Amino acid sequence: MPADPNMKILVVDDMVTMRKIVKNILKQLGFANTDEAENGEEGLQKLRGGSYNFVVSDWNMPVMTGIEMLRAIRADEKLKSIPVLMVTAEAQQSNLIEAVQAGVSNYIVKPFTAETMQEKIGKIFK
Amino acid sequence: METQGRRLYEELGTLARFVDNAMHAISTVTPQIMSSSTQLPTAASHLSDLKKMTEDGTLEVMRLTELLQDHHASMAKELSGVVDALKAIDCATLAGRLEHVRSILAQDDKHLMEIMTALSFQDLVAQRVKKLVAILDEVQTKLVELVVVFGLQRNGHEAVGTGIADQMLKQLEESKTTAMKQQVADDLLAQFGFK
Repeated sequence: MPADPNMKILVVDDMVTMRKIVKNILKQLGFANTDEAENGEEGLQKLRGGSYNFVVSDWNMPVMTGIEMLRAIRADEKLKSIPVLMVTAEAQQSNLIEAVQAGVSNYIVKPFTAETMQEKIGKIFK
Repeated sequence: METQGRRLYEELGTLARFVDNAMHAISTVTPQIMSSSTQLPTAASHLSDLKKMTEDGTLEVMRLTELLQDHHASMAKELSGVVDALKAIDCATLAGRLEHVRSILAQDDKHLMEIMTALSFQDLVAQRVKKLVAILDEVQTKLVELVVVFGLQRNGHEAVGTGIADQMLKQLEESKTTAMKQQVADDLLAQFGFK
């Protein structure tokens, strides 16, 4: 099933510049229904309070990291089926393995291109 | 027995000299240690400023890029309407030329998105700066521990360094308050007759 252009996407990153970049790319790719959170904890709160269809998250964040948020999402009955795309500078193999074990839907290494984002979204929602 | 006592006495003498030399060596670097431990917070502060400056610059480029993207979207919409109208009245040549303009706009849109994506450098810079600040904090803590353990005391002006690093840090610190804003520069230029 291709990605729904109206799906609600949550962008989680502690850096305002990265949130804007990801939201801008998503908008250019046709996904304008986006919201944002500054860390995993805020992200989880928003996810529990709203009907989101997709999460794009950073790894390194204060308060609650992206990987901790991912584990919490997968452990939550209501949220566990939401696809989570990690966009991170953590480019070690061990990080990728950790993310996969935690149930990540796909993984983008910074710096990245819009094409990469499009390709990953396409793979998640194919 | 007497020989053993003499050897022990010699060993203790060697050890005492070693300790004395070590203490002397540490005391000679005291000013540098004191200077470094007092300047590290300043260096960390400059790194944090660097992070803020790149963030501000990046956000401004983003703001302008988004403005251009919005304008492009409006132009593309307008052009589509004009192309459709021209096709309806059978002006194929004009419609073709406008289609060409529209494709150029689409290419520019791609470039604008590449500019936005390229700005992610700021995030990578910020992450490295954060790590450097953490390292400086750690080094400062260790230096302070050293100062406490060896009882090194600040000795008036001796703690003030005179090396290149000290001078550069001093310049950076001064530039925080003395760096001129464009408006001030323009006012000054105006006073010198520049219009």
